[in-house]
Amino acid sequence: MADAGAPLPPSPTPPPPSQPGQPAARIPGQDEGELVARAVAGDRAAFGTLVDRYAGVARRVARAVLGNPEDADDAAQDAMLSALVKLDQYDPRRPFGPWLLRIVSNAATDRRRRRSVRRAEPLDVGLTAGGPRPDVTAERRALGERLRQALATLPERRRIAVVLFDVEGYSHAEIATVLGIPEGTVRSEVFHARRRLRALLADWKEEG
Amino acid sequence: MKDLLPFDHRPDPVLGNALRRALDPGDATAFVARVLARAEQLRAASWDTVLARWARAGVAAALLIALAAGYLVGHASATPAPQPSVADALIAPPAHPGEVEIVLASVIENP
Repeated sequence: MADAGAPLPPSPTPPPPSQPGQPAARIPGQDEGELVARAVAGDRAAFGTLVDRYAGVARRVARAVLGNPEDADDAAQDAMLSALVKLDQYDPRRPFGPWLLRIVSNAATDRRRRRSVRRAEPLDVGLTAGGPRPDVTAERRALGERLRQALATLPERRRIAVVLFDVEGYSHAEIATVLGIPEGTVRSEVFHARRRLRALLADWKEEG
Repeated sequence: MKDLLPFDHRPDPVLGNALRRALDPGDATAFVARVLARAEQLRAASWDTVLARWARAGVAAALLIALAAGYLVGHASATPAPQPSVADALIAPPAHPGEVEIVLASVIENP
């Protein structure tokens, strides 16, 4: 993947309007160019605002890649600090979110590769095979665990694509910027990820 | 959840909410504080680096100046004293006045 500081493709199209019940996680970025300029000039509060604004999405994307929440937080933190160092390379005419999330996804992927070298981490298989359903109070937690396991079976790029699209509300074009791949490939990745995850959710409902 | 077409451009709210809950990272405040604290450490470390770099340069410059000063002082002390000129010798008081008088007397007595 190219360096995150490299020139980005033309400004992506805005995401479609929110649907009822849709997680409206898309972060508005009207003042982000100014925030970045202030942060570059040494304004700590401006950098704090950016970190606060993007902490959630950065940690979720990192967790989608790494699985382990501690590793994910470490990767998200590394990415934020790396972004701080590279802030003067950011082009304020481009949206800030995809620029930052590209650094986050690279940091998470690098960490995962290093971790894979240290220890072979077998992926959980047979995730949709069912099994005894836990009690109702733990249902949500168990579903979350199975979704995370299902995510772990997907290629990294597919995980990031579906999380950015369905959870964070980014457009295909913006995700293409984050991942450095064509927009059509993003659509394909989202489609395949959804098919896998929907099958899991459908099995879960049938079990219920 | 609905059966979406391949490459549907609309986010799936059911799947999105389930994934959001599954990936919920927890305490955001603690994470933000941690990142900002680390950023402060990096800033301080970068200043230390700058100061250390200047300190090294300063020590090197002081050494050069000391060496140059030592060389100049040593060179000055090693320079031989200037030889007295004829005029200096004539003006200076005689080291042995008696000898001069003897010479003058002999010149006067033997023109």
